[in-house]
Amino acid sequence: MAKPNKDSLKTLSFITYFIILFVFWFILSGYLKTLLLFFGVISVLFVFWMSYRAKALEEDSLPLKIILRLPFYWIWLFKEIFKSGITTTALIWNGKYSPQLITVKASQKNRTGIANYANAITLTPGTVTIEVDKKTFLVHALSKKLSDDLQTDDMNKVITDLDK
Amino acid sequence: MSYNYIELITLILLAIGCFFILSGSLGLIKLPDVFSRIHAAGLIDTLGSGFIVLALIIYSGFGLLSLKLLLIPIFLIFTSPVTSHAIALFAHESGHKPKGKNKK
Repeated sequence: MAKPNKDSLKTLSFITYFIILFVFWFILSGYLKTLLLFFGVISVLFVFWMSYRAKALEEDSLPLKIILRLPFYWIWLFKEIFKSGITTTALIWNGKYSPQLITVKASQKNRTGIANYANAITLTPGTVTIEVDKKTFLVHALSKKLSDDLQTDDMNKVITDLDK
Repeated sequence: MSYNYIELITLILLAIGCFFILSGSLGLIKLPDVFSRIHAAGLIDTLGSGFIVLALIIYSGFGLLSLKLLLIPIFLIFTSPVTSHAIALFAHESGHKPKGKNKK
């Protein structure tokens, strides 16, 4: 794509959304008959229309660029969850926790990125986002090690790069 | 023979998942305040359910069923942090102070 204009990008993201919805419908139902597939298309169109009316298809809520990188990001996220999960489990069993509040800066550009970062922090066991201001989060961490891990800013960079 | 192999892997993964759920439940009782207990609940949500679903996917083999199972963790990725954040935010706004670093 040399320099896609806004409208074609929007159409492309609509088509992607439609395909995702239809694949979702197919996975849940598993029907292959023509008539039922037709009903599936109708129900997908209905959901599409509903989300269009609800203005859920605005530009930064359906980021095309992210979708291809998403699986790799999830694998990385699972690794992080596993690491800090082990730490949290050890903390629970040996009782050496020292809860603390820290503030973390977010460098994402749009709202989706910020929500993504806050969710990722909450998703890794041992750290919970309590409050989100414009660009800073108030984070509760279960121990010094977990909050230090967060303040190395690795996660922030990965999620910012996701949206480049 | 290969059948037994798959069952063995499933068993091990289920045991790991159960261990994480046990630790999460223990933390839910043992930790000092609201904010710390949310961490324990998050442990159950992510690693506990994650390992159990992984075990079930391996057991069911590749097919429509395993794809459906794969949808569970994908939805949990989105919903579980939202609930944790909602609890934490309301606890914070209603004036709960997190306990400091005075635990042993």
